[in-house]
Amino acid sequence: MKVLLRNPRRELEVRGPMSVAKLLARLELNPESVLVIQGDTLVPKDARLVDTDTIEIRPVISGGAA
Amino acid sequence: MKCTRCKAPAVIDIRRHNAAFCRDCFLHHCREQVRKAIHEFDMIQPGERVLVAVSGGKDSLALWDLLIELGYEADGLYLGLGIGEYSEESGHYVRPFADARGLTLHEVDLPTDHGFDIPGAAAATRRAPCGACGLSKRHLFNSAALEHGYDVVATGHNLDDEAAVLLGNVLRWETGYLGRQYPVLPAEAGFARKVKPLVRLGEREMAAYCVLSGIDYQVEECPMAEGNRHLGFKDVLNALEDKSPGSKAAFLNGFFARGHERFQTEEDHVELEPCSECGAPTTTGGRCAFCSLRARAAGEVPVELRVGR
Repeated sequence: MKVLLRNPRRELEVRGPMSVAKLLARLELNPESVLVIQGDTLVPKDARLVDTDTIEIRPVISGGAA
Repeated sequence: MKCTRCKAPAVIDIRRHNAAFCRDCFLHHCREQVRKAIHEFDMIQPGERVLVAVSGGKDSLALWDLLIELGYEADGLYLGLGIGEYSEESGHYVRPFADARGLTLHEVDLPTDHGFDIPGAAAATRRAPCGACGLSKRHLFNSAALEHGYDVVATGHNLDDEAAVLLGNVLRWETGYLGRQYPVLPAEAGFARKVKPLVRLGEREMAAYCVLSGIDYQVEECPMAEGNRHLGFKDVLNALEDKSPGSKAAFLNGFFARGHERFQTEEDHVELEPCSECGAPTTTGGRCAFCSLRARAAGEVPVELRVGR
């Protein structure tokens, strides 16, 4: 599957099938800190991803002063 | 995974609520959390005019959208910070959002209207840029609200933002700040009321709200915030949350319910005088902090910045 990552923007090729939860664990990403997006919707952690899927893993953390 | 509310296929799980939602039920959940926060903390009264501080990021655009959805009269204020390409791009998210919904957007541009930018202010004061940015935002949002007759300024601070600030304040036992950290700051002479209606929603929920509502927002992080202390506190809290879901909300909500009032006596009640330049209330007896910042920064050559893509 094709995985788009942000900040900085980069692309990975990961072999499926595997669940979203397993993919995040393999990439050492905290599920609290990201969203997994496919098209215009979100992919839940138990969804199974296959080699033909294209997903974006988007960080949700923003910083700066209050 | 099924939606906890309607049993349709879920698109997101919220571990601290031990719940999962489909798109429509998730958007309903967000509206309900904002409605509850506004009610619980008496943030906005019916008929009041709200000025939303919008940056082009997920939180402020989601907040504006949610307030409109809930029927509030809410206009936006966008502040151009002069942070190179990043600021130019952020405006490109705010203006189409307002135009598409027929909403009123006010704009203030730091370089054009006040003669300095955030990189220049940071260089001139030799302090972290987030300090100059926060100071400028607080001053200019408040003065715009007073100038245009708004009752309340609403900001997009979410549960994660507030929990990170609380952790920072507790680590240093900043008792004065702890006494003032609350979802509502009441209006006083020279200050509009300030409210944080997203305080019951986490950062991940706000990003999810934008994706599922079709709101295009600036995903890239501010280049000047990289490595700041606030982001480090969020990482620590998210590591805790991963092991123990609900920790962040328990930490923050417990403080609001049982901790905050214990620090209120620590607040310094000082007489305020008008700033010698802009007339805003200040404790200094001369220029206010914003006018001092502007005076120091205006002579500096702005630092050139590039945003990574």
